[in-house]
Amino acid sequence: MAPWLSSGLVYASGLALTAGSITLLYIVTRTFNFAVASMATIGFYVAYSGVTLYGGLPYLYYPLVLIIGAITGVVCYYGLNRPLLYRKAAETTLMMSTLGYDLILLSVIQMYADFLTHSYKLFPRRVTMSLFDFELFGERAAAFILPIIAIAFLTILHIFLTKTKFGIAMRATIENPTLAGASGINSDRVYLVSWIISGGMAALGGSFIAMAMTGTPVMGMFIIPLMFAGAILGGLGNIYGGILGGMVIGLTEFAGVFILAQNFGPWVLGYRMGIPLFIMAATLLVFPRGLSGIPLAKIIRNLFRRKRGARA
Amino acid sequence: MTVNESSGGIFKSLIASRITYVLAIIIALLAFLYFTRGLSIILTILIQVTIFSIITMSLNLESGYSGIPQFGRVAAVIAGAFAVGAIPGRIMAAFMGLPAGAEYASDTVNFRLVPEINTLLANSWLMSLGFLAMCLVIAALSGALIGWLISRPAIRLKEGYLGISMLAIGDFLMWVGHNWSIIVGGSVPVNVPDPFRMFGTNRFTVIVVVFFVIAVLIFVYLNKLTQSPFGRNLRMLRDNDLSAVAAGLDIVKVRTQCLVIGAAIAAIGGGLYVIYTGSVAAIGLTRLTFTFWPWAYMMLGGIGSNIGVFLGVILLTILRTMIIIFRSTWFGFLMAVGIDPLWLEFTLLGAVIIIVILFLPHGLVPEKIAPMLPSKRIKKVLADRQVVSG
Repeated sequence: MAPWLSSGLVYASGLALTAGSITLLYIVTRTFNFAVASMATIGFYVAYSGVTLYGGLPYLYYPLVLIIGAITGVVCYYGLNRPLLYRKAAETTLMMSTLGYDLILLSVIQMYADFLTHSYKLFPRRVTMSLFDFELFGERAAAFILPIIAIAFLTILHIFLTKTKFGIAMRATIENPTLAGASGINSDRVYLVSWIISGGMAALGGSFIAMAMTGTPVMGMFIIPLMFAGAILGGLGNIYGGILGGMVIGLTEFAGVFILAQNFGPWVLGYRMGIPLFIMAATLLVFPRGLSGIPLAKIIRNLFRRKRGARA
Repeated sequence: MTVNESSGGIFKSLIASRITYVLAIIIALLAFLYFTRGLSIILTILIQVTIFSIITMSLNLESGYSGIPQFGRVAAVIAGAFAVGAIPGRIMAAFMGLPAGAEYASDTVNFRLVPEINTLLANSWLMSLGFLAMCLVIAALSGALIGWLISRPAIRLKEGYLGISMLAIGDFLMWVGHNWSIIVGGSVPVNVPDPFRMFGTNRFTVIVVVFFVIAVLIFVYLNKLTQSPFGRNLRMLRDNDLSAVAAGLDIVKVRTQCLVIGAAIAAIGGGLYVIYTGSVAAIGLTRLTFTFWPWAYMMLGGIGSNIGVFLGVILLTILRTMIIIFRSTWFGFLMAVGIDPLWLEFTLLGAVIIIVILFLPHGLVPEKIAPMLPSKRIKKVLADRQVVSG
């Protein structure tokens, strides 16, 4: 594999999950979730504490990561999001409320890092999670395992949304909340489940991202613009768009930095955040509704029509 | 965001009493700090209050009055800070015949240049005053420029998209300043010549007075602006943009003007901040300090009221400072398990935002919708018209 591809894949699958989490929550509750930043960092710290305190591979602790991420989501829903949703608060208010929650979580994470340093004599402020990984085919195993986990997670999510009764009810609420409510779907439970799923996704994504970069207590805070960039690139209209957007953002960042640094020198590394933001801006200029707004079906149909016309 | 006016007198007296309560608490806390820690801590608090009042008032113009979700306030602050760090010092250096090009910001040259400029400034009050004025003008111009540049691609986006784009731009500017050492020295902070050097030990007192005057001038200007027809347009845009379009308002133009004015004011705040601290460290201009804290100040004080903004800034600044000062005496139980109580600052910020949103949605001083002209003048205008038509 190319040197950038293995960490790029890990990083991109993490960003895809977090961007998907933002998108899911936005389409269900109209909430731009800032707390994804700290939820991701929490996911990383759960995996880190598991590995350093109880041993084993980081992958063993991913179920726990999912559960704790879901719990942070549920707390946010009942404590904060639910009263505001019933009050029909404005989009900016919802956004600010998750920001407040994010900052509280951030302080908890910082205190937890202090606690780990003091009580267990660890160094949780600069962590290279890939040290706990093993080798597979001459590469770090994360480059193979994490994309597979991400794809499996998304497949389960897809089956849940399309095949189960509750998933269909959820899609109905996303499409038309009023009509779904009139046909007897409990919107409260739909909101709750979407918070659970997106909390788990965000925490899992964070523990993925930590395998590709240095884990710090402010890791989530630094990359949240990129998570949002992924979600916006995907168009914020559809979960799969968000996942694709996160994937594109993550891969282009690693590939772009690698190629530019080879051609122009290592000073490019400092501006790595600019590449995905530039891609986001360029895409929004051409397709204002993001990747999922590209009318693929229409383009293909037009192509066929022209062919038929040429033959006639 | 609008206030129910029908509740009339009771409502007004309630607000008035709330302001007096808050003022009483603020004065009590300040007196407590003065008697336990002395005057210097009060001066530090007051300097921060003036700087952040300016930044928060500009945020209030954009988010409070016009409803633009300005999550990139730090971008304009950075523009002001970088401009003051990079340009006035170079102009002075060129004026004195010292190196003023790219090497000005290099750490081996800068630490010898700035003291030389400072000795010149310390000897002439006219020069100092001119330098301060130059800093303010340059900061405002660069802020206006960055506000205009940001507004170009972003202005047509919807609520959330706009907020996130501006947040990303602010972060990106910070990284540019941190990596491109020609502007403000990159990871090594560049020093800023100090126009208050001549006052020696009284420097902080003078800074408080000067900054306070600037803040009051901006306050008066913003009050005039928001009561003008332009301010009326902004509120109309915020409350119902559809009807604003129907009334023939050019949304993009009004919003651009608002963003440019707000960014210029915030940049003045950023410029004053670096003059006060004496150096520009790009990595210190984070969105936490210069976007999220101003949002908390504004929400606590009351969105759309500048008096409230001032109260919010001063109350939260005092609380922040108290956490820092008393961290070892009050939070010893946290120190015992190795936790630094400094993190409680984040808890305070988050808790304030959440409590205000849930229980105090209009803030301490809700926005007051006043008629644009006093009733006497309206009657006079009407009477004049009747005379003309009759």
